Amino acid sequence: MKKKGLALFLASAMAFSLTACGGGGGQTAETTAAPAAPAETTTAAPAGDTSQAAAEAPAGDGGSLVYWSMWEATEPQGQAIQAAVDKFTADTGISVDLQFKGRTGIREGLQPALDAGTNIDLFDEDIDRVNTTWGQYLMDLEELAKAADYEATANAGLMAACREVGGGTLKSIPYQPNVFAFFYNQAIFDEVGITSVPATWAELDAACAKIKEAGYTPITCDDAYITCMFGYHMSRLVGEPKTEEIVKGGQWDDPSVTATAEAYADFAAKGYFSETIASNVWPAGQNQELAMGTAAMYLNGSWLPNEVKDMAGDDFVWGCFSYPAVDGGTDGVDAANYGAQVLAINKDSQNAENAFKLICYITQGEFDKMLSELSIGIPADSNNTEWPALIACVKPVMDSMKTRYPWAAGAEANADMTPIIKENFLKLCGGSIDAQGFVDALKKAGN
Amino acid sequence: MKRNKGMIILFLAPAVLIFSAIFLYPIVRTVIMSFFRIDGITDPVSKWQFTGLSNFTKLAGTSLFRISMWNLLRIWLIGGIIVMSLALLFAVIITSGIRFKSFFRAVIYLPNIVSAVALATMWLQYVYSPKFGLLKTVFTNLGLTSLAKVQWLDNDHKFAALLLAYCFGMVGYHMLIFASGIERISSDYFEAATLDGANKFNQFRYITVPLLKGVFKTNITMWSVTSVGFFVWSQLFSTVTADTQTITPMVYMYMQIFGAGNSITERNSGLGAAIGVLLSICVVAIFWLCNHLLKDDDLEF
Repeated sequence: MKKKGLALFLASAMAFSLTACGGGGGQTAETTAAPAAPAETTTAAPAGDTSQAAAEAPAGDGGSLVYWSMWEATEPQGQAIQAAVDKFTADTGISVDLQFKGRTGIREGLQPALDAGTNIDLFDEDIDRVNTTWGQYLMDLEELAKAADYEATANAGLMAACREVGGGTLKSIPYQPNVFAFFYNQAIFDEVGITSVPATWAELDAACAKIKEAGYTPITCDDAYITCMFGYHMSRLVGEPKTEEIVKGGQWDDPSVTATAEAYADFAAKGYFSETIASNVWPAGQNQELAMGTAAMYLNGSWLPNEVKDMAGDDFVWGCFSYPAVDGGTDGVDAANYGAQVLAINKDSQNAENAFKLICYITQGEFDKMLSELSIGIPADSNNTEWPALIACVKPVMDSMKTRYPWAAGAEANADMTPIIKENFLKLCGGSIDAQGFVDALKKAGN
Repeated sequence: MKRNKGMIILFLAPAVLIFSAIFLYPIVRTVIMSFFRIDGITDPVSKWQFTGLSNFTKLAGTSLFRISMWNLLRIWLIGGIIVMSLALLFAVIITSGIRFKSFFRAVIYLPNIVSAVALATMWLQYVYSPKFGLLKTVFTNLGLTSLAKVQWLDNDHKFAALLLAYCFGMVGYHMLIFASGIERISSDYFEAATLDGANKFNQFRYITVPLLKGVFKTNITMWSVTSVGFFVWSQLFSTVTADTQTITPMVYMYMQIFGAGNSITERNSGLGAAIGVLLSICVVAIFWLCNHLLKDDDLEF
């Protein structure tokens, strides 16, 4: 009898403890949006009191917003967004549960969270990922933008880009714009007497010859960006849609592939690339060569000056030019991958108007300026005409853009081929294979 | 008996239910997913498109996936031989009664407590640097100019560079397991063998190794499981886009589920699930082989 009583007691204790655990889990699920929020928000907050209020507020009810961001709280972008959120809360009394998820966190976690019905009012990420991968979760913002007269101070080109990737309608608002182009060391250009930036492949060839002659490395790159050079050259020759078609369809016999490989093999033979280009694992090329002043040019995004500013020093003067046009090619220097991070509102959000108001705080006026200054980035608000000095050189390039390429100008459109293109293009630039060897390797890999 | 049955059920039920929910359900779901085309990993079942074995046939026909499996095999086999040999050697030395045993053990284990990100940065940006790297400096000072010129991170050497960096961090962990196994063996056997005239090598060959069979099995299984899950080091050695010399099936799976690099690429979680199924089969096969080749139940000590 005693034993039976003890057994029953133990069983009940176990059942209760399990129930208790289950209850806890349920509660967590209910406020899914907030598990890590208080710590993260508090860490990031320049003004702790408002973030504390945000952390304590229930997620997603009428008087609060839940915002998932791709940044880390410690990054300049995170700090500017936190400041905008704090001001928004102070002005409107609407608390914001701001969660910095980081790039991987939002990439892996946003869609499952939305599918699970987590209450997220707004989120941000790259323009293409938001509009393409997560397109089904986005609210149409045309009406909200119109009501707020948002476009009066927005960058028209970027708004057009958002509409283009949004299937003809506005589903996201751009901030922190960027453009992909050649960045160069102005001091080296001045020293060797290059007075105008290369607009054609022949001019780039001539500029490289002068730089090489003066004892510098004309072009360097890292493994992470090497496929961009292939993509841009291909797209200059045949346009981006055709490049994507070739890459996806494995049409390696297309003459443009050989022409691209020959152009780069020629540059490699002339010694225009860094001696270590075949072994530069990011960020070796940008840090140890470009920023250190031994290499002159690097094809990269407008975030590059910010990334290497501590190594390059205050006296480093940046220059920027669009990837040159090539003989007989379809695209000119007015085409590149330009875009932005974008903010979007969940189509199921009950707080769309407030969410849009918060978007205006982040992407316009004071906080757009702050974001631009802290991250040395391009302002999104056309009233913020003053660009950070380090990237002032990017303005003419950005303003000249008419055609928008996706990332790497289509070179990375086929995930099964990207590493193979990367391997063989590194070898091509390093001089260990020739143009035919490059084409043969791609053909051999198939798909 | 009846009363006991009720008790058994009552006590077992929670464990069985939790096991089913946490282990069995994901396994079954993953196996089912591998026969479907699924865009997003959390897409509702209504969106799944049945494709039969096409995920598996596609994997077999994709050269990049075959490359990733080849890399995994190389990591498991070559890395395994290096790590197990060094770990066993160090374990034998550490347990042989040398002075400063704790110090050496701590030093060899140290890389395990350093973040992989920090370790990889050290190897990539310092040790292997063709400009001022440790290897370049050492070989230059030794007068080995051809070795000093080697670019350790180019396509021809990147796999070896990755493997060396990875093994460096793994030896200590497996050494500890071997060392604990050796310390379990009574010193009586070694004393008796010494009295019988056996030298150190013979003691190792005929006493230590046979009595470590179970530990070998543990180490090989652990190594296999970590090898199959090889991901972080691969990512660190090829940021943003994958690399033919460092890609592993886990990286390929990630690309299929969450997209590759900065581009918006086609996603198929069903294909990712198929990779998961294949990797599980690999681990089970290795585990089965180990159990059959390394029988340790014939010895008691």
